[in-house]
Amino acid sequence: MTDQITPEVFSHLVELAALQLDPAEGEYIRRQLNNQLKSIHELEAIPLDNSLAPALHGVPYPAEISAAPRADVWQACPDVAAILSQAPQFEDGYIIVPDIPHTNLE
Amino acid sequence: MTEYEPIIGLETHIQLNTTTKIFCGCKADSWFDPPNTNVCPVCCGLPGVLPVLNKAVVEKAVLLAAAMHAEIRDLSFFDRKNYFYPDLPKGYQISQFDQSLAKGGYLEVPMVQQGYTRRVGIWKLHIEEDAGKTKNEKGRRMIDFNRCGVPLVEMVTAPDLRSPDEAAQYLMRLRQLLRWLGISEADMEKAHLRCDANVSIRPKGADFLNPKTEIKNVNSIDAVRDAIAKEIERQTRETEAGRKIEAWTLEWDEDAGRLKKMRSKETEADYRYFREPDLLPVRLTAEWKAEILKDLPELPLERRQRFMTQYNLPEYDADILTGERKLSDYYEAAVKEFGGDPKKVSNWLMNDLLRMLNDRGITADQLKVTPEFLAQILKLVDGNTINTSTGKALLQKVEESGLAPQVIVEKEGLAKVSDDAVIRAACQEVIAESPKETEAYRGGKVTLLGWFVGQVMKKMRGKADPNLARGILEELLK
Amino acid sequence: MELCDLSAFVITQQLRQKKISAVEVTESALKRIEAVDGRPGMLDAGSLTAEDEKKVHAFITVTTERALKQAAEVDRKLAAGEDPGLLAGVPVTIKDIFCVKDTPSTAASKILANFTAPYTATPVERLEKAGAVVLGKVNLDEFTYGSSNESSAFQPSPRNPWNTGRVPGGSSGGSAASVAAGEAPLSLGTDTAGSIRQPASFCGVVGLKPTYGRVSRYGLIAFGSSLDCPGPVARNVSDAALMMQVIAGHDAHDSTTANVPVMDYVKSLDQDIRGLRIGLSPDYFRIAFPNPQTGEYEIQALPAEIETAVRRAAELLAAQGAEIVENVPMPNTKFGIPAYFVISRVEAASNLHRFDGVKYGYRAKGPFQDLTQMYRRTRGEGFGPQPKLRILMGMYVSAAQYSEQYYKRALQVRSMIRRDFEAAFDPQGEHKVDVLLTPTCPTTAFQMGAVYGDSVLMQYADQLTVPANHAGVPGLSIPAGLDQDGLPIGIQLLGPDYREDILFRVGRAYERATENDAWRSEKPQVLR
Repeated sequence: MTDQITPEVFSHLVELAALQLDPAEGEYIRRQLNNQLKSIHELEAIPLDNSLAPALHGVPYPAEISAAPRADVWQACPDVAAILSQAPQFEDGYIIVPDIPHTNLE
Repeated sequence: MTEYEPIIGLETHIQLNTTTKIFCGCKADSWFDPPNTNVCPVCCGLPGVLPVLNKAVVEKAVLLAAAMHAEIRDLSFFDRKNYFYPDLPKGYQISQFDQSLAKGGYLEVPMVQQGYTRRVGIWKLHIEEDAGKTKNEKGRRMIDFNRCGVPLVEMVTAPDLRSPDEAAQYLMRLRQLLRWLGISEADMEKAHLRCDANVSIRPKGADFLNPKTEIKNVNSIDAVRDAIAKEIERQTRETEAGRKIEAWTLEWDEDAGRLKKMRSKETEADYRYFREPDLLPVRLTAEWKAEILKDLPELPLERRQRFMTQYNLPEYDADILTGERKLSDYYEAAVKEFGGDPKKVSNWLMNDLLRMLNDRGITADQLKVTPEFLAQILKLVDGNTINTSTGKALLQKVEESGLAPQVIVEKEGLAKVSDDAVIRAACQEVIAESPKETEAYRGGKVTLLGWFVGQVMKKMRGKADPNLARGILEELLK
Repeated sequence: MELCDLSAFVITQQLRQKKISAVEVTESALKRIEAVDGRPGMLDAGSLTAEDEKKVHAFITVTTERALKQAAEVDRKLAAGEDPGLLAGVPVTIKDIFCVKDTPSTAASKILANFTAPYTATPVERLEKAGAVVLGKVNLDEFTYGSSNESSAFQPSPRNPWNTGRVPGGSSGGSAASVAAGEAPLSLGTDTAGSIRQPASFCGVVGLKPTYGRVSRYGLIAFGSSLDCPGPVARNVSDAALMMQVIAGHDAHDSTTANVPVMDYVKSLDQDIRGLRIGLSPDYFRIAFPNPQTGEYEIQALPAEIETAVRRAAELLAAQGAEIVENVPMPNTKFGIPAYFVISRVEAASNLHRFDGVKYGYRAKGPFQDLTQMYRRTRGEGFGPQPKLRILMGMYVSAAQYSEQYYKRALQVRSMIRRDFEAAFDPQGEHKVDVLLTPTCPTTAFQMGAVYGDSVLMQYADQLTVPANHAGVPGLSIPAGLDQDGLPIGIQLLGPDYREDILFRVGRAYERATENDAWRSEKPQVLR
């Protein structure tokens, strides 16, 4: 079963990823993706015992070494201004962006 | 003509009243703060930041799950829900998808006027982080990250509700429970409790489900009721006209009082859930769970039932006396102190004390009239030491001064006068001072007796035993 | 020898003995940078000049003022009799994937080119608290996506100091190059599929991927959250151990750091290795990869020189009393790359969602029809082709209908790879090895521009390093000679969880055994 990323699927992915590609770049990347998919398909051929647990991390985290959740204590950020100074558009205390597409019907 | 029944499910988001946010040390409540002041690198989604789970969030969520009779998982996992939105700085929300903190459970919703109880099943209970706030202004969006990372519990009900009223009652009972447990202020106007409604209709008696619409942006219990009612109407109209109902997302416009269709990218997105690699699973050990649950109080509906059976209170009383936890605890303490008829305590509470609480804007635990003091006043009235109206006045005096009732009674000499001679003298005085009324009474206007009693009480500054006075007056006026 | 060529150990010693000052050391390092680094990486670099092709270009940002201030503070502390810290006065370079407060923290991407970090990553904070002097931020593959450093948006990209026509490796190319060129004795890099070990191997320096969770990731701009490990790059094993001493340990800001005490890496360094069992695995002496046409697995043996280097190391270690255990099977090694493709892409796509032009970094020029257009143009213009490739692959394999097929399977394969290590290291098992000795890479440094276009082949070269990232175990690459073109060869040691100390010990033993090897007196091209 070969999953080919067709130009249609590809442009859907590009939209989903909030990207924008020019046609040449897009075609190059689409070909690369399909090439890489071939090696990813190896995964399907690997004989797997389905009782094998998916490992989110390689190292195990038994209770003894796991960090406990933190105490509910307020810690103010020492330099909020440094964070906000990075905003491309900032007015009256708010971060500004263009409006969101929103249609009101009926 | 086919009769349709509405099928309603509710998705509620509950803001927990922890001190800090779920994954960082910023405050959980910044309702009154200027925008973008309650933020840090973590909740702003800066490059390189990592979430760190707040212990209190788990504990409050576990309390809620237990109160909802849900099955609590000893090991639950966080997942990323990926989508783009400007109030979501990381571009994903850390939530729980398939192995949430709890599943199953129910909330009983008494429909008092209609005389039945609706049991609403809970499908899923999970913890997640809140997004920030955006507002529209002149064609652009203004973003405030203060609320990013505030801890939420999301509860999804089964589609068990069958009317807008039931939905409203569910929210009221939920709000009551949240405040009772002390885990959320649950104020819908402050977005502590948010609700989306899923609505569909089907022919009565059918067992399948039709496509449902989702209603968002309902900010009060009344709005929930109205919006659902409107949507049921719309779906009924459409269905009867032969048109299919499509799975739209609708937004409630409070001012216009109507629903609008939203085109939101969100609803079309595949969230591509996967396990959050930056967090370890939530591990609820037996010790931790026991520690949390030892604080689980008797729940409001359980206590409501118990008040009816144990204290023989009518449903109306039981409802009010289990509406709010501090009032309820006050009531029970007063009953125990009093040792007499619980209904008496109930009456005093529901009338005079409740009014006092409302006037002063305080809760029952803040009263200077403690349950012990109330019990003492009731005993004084019951034992005929003072009459009822003196008793009510005494409430105010105790509240203002903080002194024990007995102390005030002695200080002000409020004890009821039952001395026949003293009362008789006052009656004779009143009769002498009121020739016209005396004549009218003897002429047949017997209703004036009440007026005479009132005059005697006035003359004796309320301290006369009114029944004795009445008897003596009747005798004298013959 | 210049001050900047001294080892970190010697620098701290001589500083405490008041033989040299921190400012002097820093100035020496800055001078070296000026001599060999050439122009730093930048956007809109224009075309490469002949001069460019002879320089190292390790840096994106040299923080001269800041460094001199830090050095002066170290000197002040020493003069005042205060403890200046374990790494007092040691210059260090930081891979520009780490946030360092008030410095440009770019991830070598246009989308963060204008980003000044408002906070500092924990490992960097620990280095600075220990008295290290941060010289600046060094170059990397954009968002760490690559194995040659060529994909940086900041050009010229780093070049191998041993031969500037060759790549330094990646993604921590700037780290390895800066250390190899004598610009600093230490660098802080990151390793997600070999990105510390491979460039260390290519540049003839020491590189450690610690156990996952041993060093905090707070402040590390994330690529593969379950794979990323910050780690030291150094010129010798002792320096790497010293740096680990400072950066390792639980961090309240990172829930995945382990509550395991940090052992004294330095103290155990020179313990002898008698009786240690060192395993050799046939699965690490070859590359297995599927034929692009047929899909069938093909085996490619490693170049003889590389295999020889490993075998020679085994002999030398045996001569010191270690026991060599042959034929340790690591059968799931060949599945490391496809599993890595899936896991890293899913995590990367998600981790890159936050770069949306809203609150920091690049925002495309308006006006915009709407927000969606802003997102798309910003991300389209801000990301280079490698991030785009990873994002799109990540979106594809994590879509709901494929998630079971790809993502879940990849996580199961990770379990299998982990099992290989557990079996090898199991004290009750058949082989009971204390470390595995393997090659680091199947090649030495390749030509610049050689394989940038073909991402699959580049990725398969990580086959020997990526299993340690899947399994979370620590891996150390140390230099083990030069090939016939005079390019460094690296060998790798892999050990059990939290046992970096064993890796250091064996690495140190190898260093002692090869102290007088001719190749150790060879200098990189830029230093001749």
